[in-house]
Amino acid sequence: MIDAEDVGGVHIKYLYHCRRQLWLYVRGIRPEHLSATVQLGEAVHDASYTRNTPVDLEAARLDFIDGAHWVHEIKSSSRPSPADQAQGRHYCHRLRRVGIEAQGAVLHYPKTRRTQRFPYTPQAEAQAEADIAEVLAVATSPASPDRLARSACRGCSFTDYCWTE
Amino acid sequence: MPTAARTYWLTSPCRIRRKDQSLIIERENADNVHIPITDVRDIVACAEVDINTSVVSLLNRHRINVHLLSYYGDYAGSLLTSETSTSGETVLAQARTAEDPKASMEIARSIVDSCAFNVRRVVDRKLLARPYKVLQESIGGARSPEQLMGAEGTFRRSAWEVVDTKLPDWLQLGGRSRRPPKNAGNAFISYVNGITYARLLTAVRLTPLHSGIAFLHSSMERQRHSLVLDLSEMFKPLFAERLMLRMAGRNQLKEHHFDRESNQAMLAEAGRKLVVQTVRDEFAVTVAHRSLGRSVAYDELLYLDALALTRHCLEGAPYKPFRIWW
Ligand code: SF4
Repeated sequence: MIDAEDVGGVHIKYLYHCRRQLWLYVRGIRPEHLSATVQLGEAVHDASYTRNTPVDLEAARLDFIDGAHWVHEIKSSSRPSPADQAQGRHYCHRLRRVGIEAQGAVLHYPKTRRTQRFPYTPQAEAQAEADIAEVLAVATSPASPDRLARSACRGCSFTDYCWTE
Repeated sequence: MPTAARTYWLTSPCRIRRKDQSLIIERENADNVHIPITDVRDIVACAEVDINTSVVSLLNRHRINVHLLSYYGDYAGSLLTSETSTSGETVLAQARTAEDPKASMEIARSIVDSCAFNVRRVVDRKLLARPYKVLQESIGGARSPEQLMGAEGTFRRSAWEVVDTKLPDWLQLGGRSRRPPKNAGNAFISYVNGITYARLLTAVRLTPLHSGIAFLHSSMERQRHSLVLDLSEMFKPLFAERLMLRMAGRNQLKEHHFDRESNQAMLAEAGRKLVVQTVRDEFAVTVAHRSLGRSVAYDELLYLDALALTRHCLEGAPYKPFRIWW
């Protein structure tokens, strides 16, 4: 269904946000279709995951890599989250796999004018690999992970799917 | 609801051409209309359209489907983009559910029940109380989809008779007839059902389900998307019967809205415009959704129902087909 090479930034983000979201995503439940603000049938950009993408760097909103090989990402949220950090780590991992010596991730939060740096240490590398393994474990699990508490689902674009009765 | 893209309804004969990233709609006695491709979510063509390859490739790239209604207002077919949201895992789960006689009969039964429930709700609760009870009993004992359809047919016949008592003579159905519809009433019903079918096809294609694997209608029936036939059942009364009774009651439908010959009838151009306008407005009507805690448009209800069925196939969550709750 999905193997290590297919794991992209979106999968990592969902892994940290909600495992059920990840499980659904790999089964074709697409947030861009579900979101209440995106009405039925809206034309969507080709942002969806396709198996043919060799390295999922397109979907990785990788904003730029500077001369010193730091990955910069601009985040629209105002608060840093473990998911952001994990995504940054994942891109570094991917870049190293294609021979670019990424030094770490710099996350920019323009809304709050905050910047966070995460050097790509050996620990970070181990964690990046563990994350990929975890994505695969969740994705291939036959049973769907439970829903989060309703209050934790606020703002999630999968709510229509998870909570229609 | 904020959204850039919308459905375009073409009600008069036209040609669609492409200019860069825009569609140009050329009509005979009117100005050309330019529409940026990103403004379009899908197109329902209710009149003859000419379309060429470069338009098709642009539509395809933006995942825009074109639904075609025939001259008689029947659903004629769709230009569907090659990309679907179908997912292997989900289609397998759907197929397993469809192959399991017990599981698929349960879905089929609740579809028929919900359909009749909705018919009764919009036509006449009192007069259809007894036929509805009979229906529930017979679907309880039904062993096959054919028996379910038979029970539905019986119920539907009673319902059409009641509908006729509420219509002016010239609009009465005298029983259902299709392809071609034999009178104005039937022409109206066929037309609205065709539109509902087209909207549901769009909705189903946004889910990872396969539109050809069905539970009530036999799969691959007449080359149609049989799952869409299944899901249309519950929604047809919400639009067709309901709007027909309302428009007749308000005297909005007139004889001149139809072209009638000895044994067939169809909507005339003015009638088609009126009906399309009415249905289109109806799709935008919103209602408070109970479990989602927000208001949803009727249009969205179709999609939510397809999602609920997805969840049933994928996760075994109970599937309760759409029932009018307001
Ligand atoms: S709605 Fe809740 S349970 Fe469903 S994917 Fe989102 S966060 Fe997870």
